Amino acid sequence: MKPTLTTKLNVKARGRSSFVSKIWIGVPITTWLFLLIIIPICIMLVTSFYTKEGSVVIKKISLANYLEFFINPIYLPIFFRTLILALLVSLTSILLGYPLAYLVSRKVKCFRNQLYMLVIVPLWVSYLVRIVAWRTILGRVGVLNTILLSLKIIDEPLSIFIYSPFAVYVALIYIALPYVFISIFNSLEKIPKNLLDAAADLGANSFHTFIHVILPLSMPGVISGFTLAFVIALGDYIIPQQLGGLNGMMFGNLIVTQFGYAYNWPLGAALGFIMFTVAVVILLVSQKFGSSEGFLE
Amino acid sequence: MNNQETEIQLIQITKKFGNFTAVQNVNLEIHHGEFFSLLGPSGCGKTTTLRMIAGLEEPTEGQICLAGEDVTYKPAYLRNVNTVFQDYALFPHMTVEENIYFPLKMKKVKYSSARAMIEEALSLVNMTGFGKRYPQQLSGGQRQRIALARSLVNRPRALLLDEPLGALDFKLRIAMQKVLKDIQKNVDITFIYVTHDQTEAITMSDRICVMKDGVIHQIGTPDEIYNSPESTFVASFIGDMNFLEGQVVQKGENSVTIDVDGKPIISTRFEGTFSKGDSVVACIRPEKICLDKMCDSEFQNKFENHFQASIHRIVFRGTDYEITLKFGQSEIRLIESASEFNNKKIGDQLFIGFQKDDVITYLKECKKVCDYETNLDN
Repeated sequence: MKPTLTTKLNVKARGRSSFVSKIWIGVPITTWLFLLIIIPICIMLVTSFYTKEGSVVIKKISLANYLEFFINPIYLPIFFRTLILALLVSLTSILLGYPLAYLVSRKVKCFRNQLYMLVIVPLWVSYLVRIVAWRTILGRVGVLNTILLSLKIIDEPLSIFIYSPFAVYVALIYIALPYVFISIFNSLEKIPKNLLDAAADLGANSFHTFIHVILPLSMPGVISGFTLAFVIALGDYIIPQQLGGLNGMMFGNLIVTQFGYAYNWPLGAALGFIMFTVAVVILLVSQKFGSSEGFLE
Repeated sequence: MNNQETEIQLIQITKKFGNFTAVQNVNLEIHHGEFFSLLGPSGCGKTTTLRMIAGLEEPTEGQICLAGEDVTYKPAYLRNVNTVFQDYALFPHMTVEENIYFPLKMKKVKYSSARAMIEEALSLVNMTGFGKRYPQQLSGGQRQRIALARSLVNRPRALLLDEPLGALDFKLRIAMQKVLKDIQKNVDITFIYVTHDQTEAITMSDRICVMKDGVIHQIGTPDEIYNSPESTFVASFIGDMNFLEGQVVQKGENSVTIDVDGKPIISTRFEGTFSKGDSVVACIRPEKICLDKMCDSEFQNKFENHFQASIHRIVFRGTDYEITLKFGQSEIRLIESASEFNNKKIGDQLFIGFQKDDVITYLKECKKVCDYETNLDN
């Protein structure tokens, strides 16, 4: 085909326009990021430096809210308890999710997809419904107590299951597990089968193959699963509210209280920003791990 | 091979995947220190055979012996054979050094005492100084050599190579063929080499086993395979071959005369027994055929088979020309060097001649024989 005038022009324009078009491609995502994420965060950050006196927000920069966090004995213990609980939840999710993902990915021959779907299906049900469902399981006349009673393990219904940190812990694991499962499963699926053949061929039994080949190569999935579970557990306030009782209160609840009940937005913003910083640090650290382990990308 | 000690023995091996039979009744005996090739088109069962020797597949029937010991149901990690995989299968999360250390670590060799062995393996494949790199930082040929070093470092009884050069470009492949052959001489380890490239098999092997559809067609030295193929499949798969179909018109004690499109062709070599009137295929290598303008007495004395044909096609191939001649419905190809070509043109009437000892005749009805046509594309 002979080059027509328009194709010639296109060729001419391409060199000049490449830079401009690259910028245009970035515009929608940048706008979206700014409008929905960066600007709100900045507003929150600025608000967190204001103070509230009576019912008036004083727009003067001060560190009073952050001081409050460190001085008021309510905040720090609950903050650390939340951190530890989130850590425990994500560790337990990994410990439960890894064997599950490993079984479905490597050991199960038939009904693999069905099993995968079974793990994923809870994600289709409303978050709130699933949490309320846990009340019927853990409650005084719940499924768990009924079973234990009928098995004559206990004489009267136990009330330690619900309205305790334990209930929050269990429910958070339940929420986080599918995400952990998916990310570990995907990283296991990505490992080429011939690497396992090679390991066996070079003298590694199945235990050594797992330790030296499968586990290191699935680490990116473990780390991203851990990050997801941690962030989910760290920020959740519905589960503590529904299942936690007084002792199960988490940092998220404190933030909600400031915004929703105390109408102290500046303090709520400061508390929120502290948690946001922790989440970002965790994300950055795990990204660092994740990228150096991402061999199969 | 002077050393006839049997290293690997396959007895009546059959492997089925569901209803599909990948390997059928394979019997093999591979000697110590031999460079043994399994050659065949894709899907012929050569890789499955290799994987059964490695222990990565379990045979459905039969027995595998390694140095006299029955290893049929021994898991791969306990067998003293190592495989070089087609796509190298280097561990991406380990450096070159760690990759080579892996088989030693599995044998509980301490890193301090393994260092010398790793260095030796690296120098064997000419990759000294690459120990700290990751596989992703190496080229295809370099990865290939590291895979080789990793498989050789603990000195297995046999090294199994599954089309190791398949992913490399032509020049690198030729270079690696030499490297492989040199290494094999140096380490005195039995090499079993799977390939679909007949040139590779012929140039490198001590013996070749030609397979098709899970069945062994012929086992022999490259010379035997090339010059005395036992079936038309082997004849077509190894090197270039003319197939002339015709009927037996005369059957003598040591020779047979075949009528191909009205031309009598005498052949002294044949596989199987046949009688007058049978449909047969006469095979002749293109390089065994001569072409002349004149059919003088010298030409007639030298070549028992000689007749006239016209040039149908000429293909220039760099160092030589491939000329296709036609007589009746039959075509015959031959090779002529550029210096002898002498401006021949399509349509020229010329005489072709070849000796009766160079013609091999096969029965056409024989099951083994009929598949040559479908395999010409290999």
